[in-house]
Amino acid sequence: MSRDHVDALVTDRYLDSLLAAADRHADDAPSDADLDTGVRDAARVLGRSLVRFHPSFRFEERLASRLAALASAQAGVVAAAGGSTAHGAIAGRLLGFPPAAASAFTSAASGPTDADPLLDAILRGDLDPTDADAVERAARLPGSRRPLIGGVAITSAAISIVGVAWVAWRAAHPAAHPADGTITRIARSDHVRRVAAAMSAGGLGGPA
Amino acid sequence: MARAVFGRGGQPATGSVVAFDRDRSLVEAARRDPAQFDALYRKYLAQVYAFALYELADHHAAEDATERTFLRALAALPRFREQARTEDGPEASTFRVWLFRIARNVVANERRTRRRRPAASLDLALGAGLAIADGTDLEADAVTRDEAAEALRVLRTLPDDRRRALVLRFVDEMSTAEIAGILGRSEGAVRVLIHRALGSVARELGRDRLGGRDRPDGGRA
Repeated sequence: MSRDHVDALVTDRYLDSLLAAADRHADDAPSDADLDTGVRDAARVLGRSLVRFHPSFRFEERLASRLAALASAQAGVVAAAGGSTAHGAIAGRLLGFPPAAASAFTSAASGPTDADPLLDAILRGDLDPTDADAVERAARLPGSRRPLIGGVAITSAAISIVGVAWVAWRAAHPAAHPADGTITRIARSDHVRRVAAAMSAGGLGGPA
Repeated sequence: MARAVFGRGGQPATGSVVAFDRDRSLVEAARRDPAQFDALYRKYLAQVYAFALYELADHHAAEDATERTFLRALAALPRFREQARTEDGPEASTFRVWLFRIARNVVANERRTRRRRPAASLDLALGAGLAIADGTDLEADAVTRDEAAEALRVLRTLPDDRRRALVLRFVDEMSTAEIAGILGRSEGAVRVLIHRALGSVARELGRDRLGGRDRPDGGRA
């Protein structure tokens, strides 16, 4: 093992004890005699200065609502499908949400800075969000950010072509389960039919 | 001895996987009922947000990155695979490593898009009162504003990988193994990276009193 690695191990051990000491509200921790003093002092300064910051409570609750909306959609689909999820079904289910929950998710996906154009692919299982190369490639694809459908609560990022196809299918089929009635009624509305038809025809844009 | 909880490109490291992960019960609950993801969200929100804030130096950008991170995590949770091993210790959470790999990618994409470096306004972002310190009373800890400002100034002079490693170590209080998993490096490489980063900080702070001893070099791990 090189001297560099040995020194790094000594430093690492000191950092472990320093951070543990901070948890006990102690000012410092015992250090190895081999630890160089410059590194030790720098670690002490950073330990005192680099504090963790919290986001605002308003942001925390807003994001919690958006996650809850997505979670509710997933939960319903998981229950209906016996385990696996499909994005089309999730997006479709969002149409049947109580207004507050649905708007929480759709508004999360509607703004140019809030929308996540890759969420569709992740929900479908086509993109691993931990894969740096894949995420970078996907983010650079032209059209990864689809346009907003003006004037309605359905946004491009919240509902994909797959989702629209599901809505169109649902509009043509009676509900198999009483709980699906709300979704079916919404899917059969003239407005949703027009949107579904337009998107299916590629008139309003779709995934690249 | 080098190993990573996760290898490069999201490939799991070899070795036996044991039935233990600090967040196992929370992850399993969230898989059964996605609404239970809220517990994981509350647990790691501040850590992800702080990481994003130090990386992006912009309160709004940090919020956007945090939002994307958690939405992506929830969307991908069915495909998360626990990788905790005995030697990772009782505090191991491969969910946290997995979550921060997502955050790392979100932040990297955000930085490319914005063409903005943290050096531009980190101290301003952190000092603007837009965020709230998490249970740490700077005055009670006898930390002067000058010292904190100087530390932030030095932090922003570091190369990205060194700064990122220090933030994960000091702000998010992660182990070397966890940081290795997030950065896709070996534990040994991360130790050297942090050691050298601290050497750079020491020199910048004018506190390097090594005399004739070997000192951390200025090269990159």
